Amino acid sequence: MEAAKKSKDTAIEDDTLREIYRQISRIHEVDKAIKAGLSSGKFQFTYWPMTGQEAIPAAIAPLVTKDDYMVTIYRGIHDQVAKGVPLKGLFAEALGRVDGVNKGKGGSPHISDPASGSMLTTAIVGAGTPIANGLALASKMRGTKAVTIVNFGDGATSIGAVHEAMNLAGLWKLPVIFMCQNNQMGEYTRIPDYTASKDFASRAAGYGFKGVQLDGNDPVAFHNGMKSIIEDVRNGNGPVFVEAMTVRLSLHAGVGDTNHLTKEELAAAKEAWPVPRTRALLLEQGICSEAELAAIDDAAKAEVKEAVEYALASAVTGEDEMLLDVYADPTVVPRRGQRVKRAEEAPHTGEKREMAMFEAIQDAQELALELDESVFFLGEDIGEEAGGVFKCFKGMQGKWGERVRPTPIAEQAIIGAATGAALVGMRPVAEIMFCDFVGVCLDQIVNHAAKQRYMSGGATHVPLTIRTIAGGGIGGFGAQHSQSTEALLLHNPGLKIVYPSTPTEAKGLLLSCIFDDDPCIQFESMMLTYALREEVPLGDYRIPLGVAKVKRAGSDISVITYGWQVMHCLAAAEELAKEGIDVEVIDLRTLLPLDYERIFTSVEKTGRALIVHAATEFCGLGAEIASTINEEMFTRLKAPAARFGAAYAPIAYSKTIETAQMPHAGSIAARVRELLK
Amino acid sequence: MSTQLTIPKLQMSTTEGTLTEWLVDDGELVEEGQPIYCLETDKSVQEIEAPESGRLTQKAAAGETYPVGTEIGEITSE
Repeated sequence: MEAAKKSKDTAIEDDTLREIYRQISRIHEVDKAIKAGLSSGKFQFTYWPMTGQEAIPAAIAPLVTKDDYMVTIYRGIHDQVAKGVPLKGLFAEALGRVDGVNKGKGGSPHISDPASGSMLTTAIVGAGTPIANGLALASKMRGTKAVTIVNFGDGATSIGAVHEAMNLAGLWKLPVIFMCQNNQMGEYTRIPDYTASKDFASRAAGYGFKGVQLDGNDPVAFHNGMKSIIEDVRNGNGPVFVEAMTVRLSLHAGVGDTNHLTKEELAAAKEAWPVPRTRALLLEQGICSEAELAAIDDAAKAEVKEAVEYALASAVTGEDEMLLDVYADPTVVPRRGQRVKRAEEAPHTGEKREMAMFEAIQDAQELALELDESVFFLGEDIGEEAGGVFKCFKGMQGKWGERVRPTPIAEQAIIGAATGAALVGMRPVAEIMFCDFVGVCLDQIVNHAAKQRYMSGGATHVPLTIRTIAGGGIGGFGAQHSQSTEALLLHNPGLKIVYPSTPTEAKGLLLSCIFDDDPCIQFESMMLTYALREEVPLGDYRIPLGVAKVKRAGSDISVITYGWQVMHCLAAAEELAKEGIDVEVIDLRTLLPLDYERIFTSVEKTGRALIVHAATEFCGLGAEIASTINEEMFTRLKAPAARFGAAYAPIAYSKTIETAQMPHAGSIAARVRELLK
Repeated sequence: MSTQLTIPKLQMSTTEGTLTEWLVDDGELVEEGQPIYCLETDKSVQEIEAPESGRLTQKAAAGETYPVGTEIGEITSE
C-alpha cells in the first residue's frame, strides 16, 4: 500500500487537511446562510453563532464515525454539520418545518439525529455532560469501542452539572471526552469576570483524569492532539477533558461582531480565524490549488443553497403535531373529557409469597435484570455493603456486578447517566433516595428526560425509570425529607408517574415502568415500605399503567386517592360506614396516565367526589381532578367535587404538627361528612 | 424571482430598526454579499448585505424606524 501523501511542512496527511477544510467550508457556508437569512428578514429565529470555532468539530470529524456519540449545546451548529447531520433536515429544523430532523419541534437548539450520532442538543448550559456520561456508560457496558464527545462552552465550567459529570466519569472511567470550546466568553461575560481559574484543563486532575489544552484554531495541531486522545479514550483509558482554545467572533445571539472584544483584539482574532487560515495553509503547502479550493467552497455553497431552498419549501409544522411525541402513545396526554379505557391486570393465579414493599421492589428489580440485559440500576448506596438505604438492593451488586451501580451523592449525574444510557436503548432504573431531592436534579428530569422525545420529534426517547421515596406521615424526617412532590413533576409534560399503595402494586407497576418506553417515576411511601406485608405474586407480574382500582365499593361518595393515603381513606370509610355513609375508595395507582374512565364511572354512580392526597392541597393533583369532574359532570353531581391535601406549609418536624397538616382518617372522615351535609 | 427585504430580528431583544441609509440607489444592480443599507438597532449600526444578486427596489424611506418584519424592499434577479 502506498503511504498517504504528506506535504513536508505539515504534520498531517494532505487528504486529512483537505477534508478538515471541506468541513470548515461547509460550516462557514451554513453560518453565512443563516446570517444572510436573518439579515434579509427571510428567517426569524434566534441564532447563537459559532463563528470562529469552525476548526474544532472539523478537525475531529475525520477521527470519529456515526457510531460515536456527540452531545452539544445551542451554539452547536458547527458540531452538527461536522458530525454529519443532513443540512436539509438541519435548516428545516431551524425554521420549524415538518421536514426538519426533529419535525420542527426542537429547533436549532435541540437537534437530535441518531443516524449521524448527534444524540442530544441542550439549551441548558452544562446539562449535556451528565447525559454524555450515560451514552458513554452504555458503550462501555455493551463493550463497543464508541467514544462520546460532549461539547460545551467555557461558561459551562461554572455550573454544577459539569462538576458532577466529571466526577462520575472519572470514577467510572467512562469513554467520554469533555470538549470545552473555550471561546473566552460565557454569554455576555468574559473571563476573568466569572471565574478566578487560570485555565479549565487543569481541573480534570482534581477528578483523577487527564486535562489537555489545545489550540482549537489550529486545525493541524488540534487534529493531531485529538487523534491520540480519541484513541486513548476508545481503548478504555478513561475520560479526557479538552480545553479547545478559540475566540467567538460573533455576538452571543443574533447577527453581528462580538462587542466583548476591543478593536485590536477583534482584529487579532480575525487574523487567527481558522476559515481563511486553513485555506491559506492548503495553498501555501501546495496541497490544494486555488481552483481546487474554489471547487470545495462551491460544493459547500451549492449544498447549503439546496438545503435552504428545501427548508423554505417545507411546510411549517402544524397544530396536528402538537400532542404527538409527548409520549409514545398520544392517548396518555391528559385531556379534559377524554375517557380512555385501559384493560386492568389479569388476575394472578400463580404462586405468591408474603413480602413487604421493599422486598416486593427487590423482587421486581431482580426479575427485570433477568428478563432484559439492557436493564441496570444506579443510585446512592445501592452497592453490596449498604444494599440501598431502603434495603431494596440486598446482595444484588454481588450477584449482578456492574448492572447494579452505586453512585456518588450526585443526583444530576445519576439522572443524566440514566437519560444518556436510555437514549441509546438501555433501560436504566435510578433511585433518588427521597423525593424532596428531585429539586437538585429537576433540570435533568424535566428539561431533558421528559422533553427529549418531543424535542427530537420522536427521533429519540428516554425509557428510564426513577424510584423515589416520600418520607412523610411517619414523623421526624423534617421538611426536606417528608414532602410528596408529585405535583411538581406532573406539571412537566413527558413523564409518567405511579404511586403504589401496596407491595403487590409496587412490584407490578415498577415492572411496567421499567419496560415502558417513556420516562417513568415511581413514588414509594416510607409509611408503607416496611409496615405493610401481603402475599405478592411471584414471577413476571405487571400492572398496566393508567389503571385505577376500586379498593372499597360504595354508593354515597367516591374518595379518590393514592399512595399511603389509600390506607387512611379506607380507615375513614370504615369509620363512616358506622354512621351509614357508604364510601367508595378509588386508588389511582397511576397519576399519569390518569384513569378518567374509572374516576368518572365511579362518580357517575355516587354523584360526589373527594380527592385526597398527602401533597400540598394548593395546586395539587386533587385540584385538577376536582375541577375536571366539576366541568365534565356538573349536571350529574349532588355536590361539587372537592379536594383535600396537606396544609400550605413545609412538613414540620413536630409530630403533632405533621399529623395535623396532612390528611388522616379522622380529618378525611370529617371532610366527607361536610360534603354530605 | 424576487427576494423580499424585511427589517431583520438581529438580536433576541430587537423589536424595531431604523433604516439609517440606503447604500445602493433604487433600481441599481447589487451583488450577493454587497452592503445595501445601514440598520440601527439597539444602539448599534450594521451594514446589511444583499442576500441575493439582482436589481434592488426600495420600498421604504431612509431615516425612519420600522418594526421587525416590515418589508423595506426587494431584489429581483434578472
